[in-house]
Amino acid sequence: MPEIPAVSRRLLLGGALATGALAAGVGSAQAASVTEAATAVDPAPRRRPGQKSMIDVAFEPCRTVRVGVIGLGNRGHGMSEGWSVVPGCTVTAVCDIRAERAKRTADRLVATGRPRPAEYGGSDESYARMLERDDIDLVYIATPWEFHYEQGRAALLAGKHVIVELPIATGLEELWDLVDTSERTRRHLILSENCSYGRNELAMLKMAHEGLFGDVTNGHGGYLHDLRALLFSDTYYTDAWRRLWHTRSTASFYAMHGLAPVAAAMDINRGDRMTVLRATATEPKGLADYRERFVPRSHPSWQETYINGDLVTCLIDTAKGRVIRAEHDVSSPRPYSRINSLAGSRGIFEDYAGTSTTGGRIYVEPDHSGHSWRDFDTYRKEFDHWLWKKIGDDAANNGGHGGMDYVLQWRTVQLMRAGLVPDIDVYDSAAWCAPVPLSVKSLAAGGRPVEVPDFTRGSWVNLRTGLDSRTSEMPPVA
Amino acid sequence: MRSAGRISSLRAMAVAAALLVPAPAAAAAEPEPAPAPAATEVTIAPVDLAGPAISTVKVTVKNAGPDRMRSLKVSFAGPVGWAVQPSVHSVDGTFAAGATAAAEFRIQVPEPRPGFTVRTFTATATYKGGDGAGTATATRSQRSGTPLADLADAYNNVGVTDESNTAPGNYDGGGNSFSAQKLADVGLTPGATVRALGAELTWPEAAAGTKGNVSSAGQAVTLSGRGSKLVLLGSGVGSGATGTATVYYKDGSTGTGSFGFPNWSFDPANAHGATLVASSDGRNRQSGYGNAGIAYRIFAHSIPLDATKEVDFVVLPGNGNIHVFDMAVAP
Repeated sequence: MPEIPAVSRRLLLGGALATGALAAGVGSAQAASVTEAATAVDPAPRRRPGQKSMIDVAFEPCRTVRVGVIGLGNRGHGMSEGWSVVPGCTVTAVCDIRAERAKRTADRLVATGRPRPAEYGGSDESYARMLERDDIDLVYIATPWEFHYEQGRAALLAGKHVIVELPIATGLEELWDLVDTSERTRRHLILSENCSYGRNELAMLKMAHEGLFGDVTNGHGGYLHDLRALLFSDTYYTDAWRRLWHTRSTASFYAMHGLAPVAAAMDINRGDRMTVLRATATEPKGLADYRERFVPRSHPSWQETYINGDLVTCLIDTAKGRVIRAEHDVSSPRPYSRINSLAGSRGIFEDYAGTSTTGGRIYVEPDHSGHSWRDFDTYRKEFDHWLWKKIGDDAANNGGHGGMDYVLQWRTVQLMRAGLVPDIDVYDSAAWCAPVPLSVKSLAAGGRPVEVPDFTRGSWVNLRTGLDSRTSEMPPVA
Repeated sequence: MRSAGRISSLRAMAVAAALLVPAPAAAAAEPEPAPAPAATEVTIAPVDLAGPAISTVKVTVKNAGPDRMRSLKVSFAGPVGWAVQPSVHSVDGTFAAGATAAAEFRIQVPEPRPGFTVRTFTATATYKGGDGAGTATATRSQRSGTPLADLADAYNNVGVTDESNTAPGNYDGGGNSFSAQKLADVGLTPGATVRALGAELTWPEAAAGTKGNVSSAGQAVTLSGRGSKLVLLGSGVGSGATGTATVYYKDGSTGTGSFGFPNWSFDPANAHGATLVASSDGRNRQSGYGNAGIAYRIFAHSIPLDATKEVDFVVLPGNGNIHVFDMAVAP
């Protein structure tokens, strides 16, 4: 019988990010202790008797994937419809602390010809009641960040597989706990990292495996998205949850969209691993400046002080001597970019260069010479991932974010229905989210290097496939 | 179940021990010509290239020397960028003459590429004893796909433009190109015959402003004939336009040869041992014809062939600074 934990109202000032707030703002004694701890090794907690790795553990095949959704704001509402259009997938339950949102999503699904899902809402414990259902195989979580860990853990304990929006957790202990809980419950927890299924990102991954870049030595990724208007919107982020994170901590909150594809191309946890992280942060100027120019003095944001650096940069070393640069900036005026660059002994790829229809540019020997960039188009075509060849048209018609959302959802459902090993597992998810608390630790220690935990407990040395998967079919729908 | 990459030496050692025969006394009667010393044999088993996948590869080391082999380490590598686990195996114990040891490696194999590919794998054994050499290496190449029908199928660069429309040109990566008019002044018109280093070559038929030469990137191109050398017509861009071409013969054997071209403009005309074929005056830039008074040149170079064998195809070097306009077999 799955164990259901009690729902607690913990977190908001808990975990590693509170450490960052302390270090950034107050208490020299506390800051000193943080500095002492910054470079200390966080030993891997011991597995409990009987607890085993989830590496290469396949889903149990199922005819239909039944999804329960927690969090029905902008993201959850849109993705609910996305799940419902994937062949062999149905949304059986939806939940939001605001009951009217559950009704809105249910109405929308019915309006598009889907069965009406069960509705849960009205309290912060509603999700726990939803998890008691026995007709949910996969829980999709799209709530504010502060709830991801607790709800993800609860879903695992309820015997469900879980796919969680970024980040899966914001503290190291929480990340370890999710790894352990996944191993104990034998249920997968997956970061809903849609950009890892981006067309350019997957082509970059396949090119790296082909050896076009030679020996890969470095990669850059990040999340550079001017969110200022949305952060100060009274309607977009419920209760301004995302803006409030900028008042609590100095951290690389959300670099995974750029970090994960680079990590995948370096086979992190599949032959290499991240070992050491050091972080820098610029002064927090962007949000206050925007508020000064565009936000009325009567707005509640004027009671806030923003402490997160506008540009938080993490430099991450790997066991094989590679370096990853992961950036996070959502508070500066700038065009969107996830950077998405990979380089090695024989060439380089850069995305968001705006020079071709793909947005990418490339220079690889021996194909190129003369010190000038070439369009990525022909390479994207040759190294196009089978998922995009197969469902790219469907993705364009059904999915947000250029189709990445649909590819992620289609592939997740396919993996579950066909009984395959997930492309992204709990170890990937934890590693990609670890820079959130680790950047806090490093910044608190003046940018000193901090060790990155090995969530695989040594299994990272083993080569294994992941996102660069073999072509396979979606099981037919009866 | 065996763990991946484990050395399987014990069985081989046991077999070798059973066959061990004491060596004859040093005081043998009549001295005979010494046979060539047996060398350590390293063998790489066929690699499953049906990727994307992790394939397991077995490497076998046979101690063909007279002494016991010890401190054996076996390393394995595939094409650049292909991850291998582990990169080196250390083998415990010693091996009698004639004994073999096997090491298993796992390698990340990408999805097969269309067209012609050659995947090369290398295994190296280092050891003490045995044949006394201390090291032995094996290379395994696995081919797939079909070579291009002719060089024109490999054209990937616009190197010649008309002075009235220079925009398509990009011979050097900087948007510059040969002037069709100035090449014509020295006899290089589409389809013209060029004689160099004993070979009869053809200037590309391609019209000005279209792809008409090959920036060398390992393309495999069908070529027939039998002769003493392969002559290549071209020139270099940037610096270091040198590389190695591989000739595949119809009997399945291969040969290699290194060559280079001077930069189309600034190197000495005999750099890398090349021979000047033609010099055209000035070049076409994106803004139009210019640089009059400076020579932009075409060269010839060659690599040796086995004249007893019929050529099947040629794999060009992997160096994009080498531009090839034609190639032919010289008697």
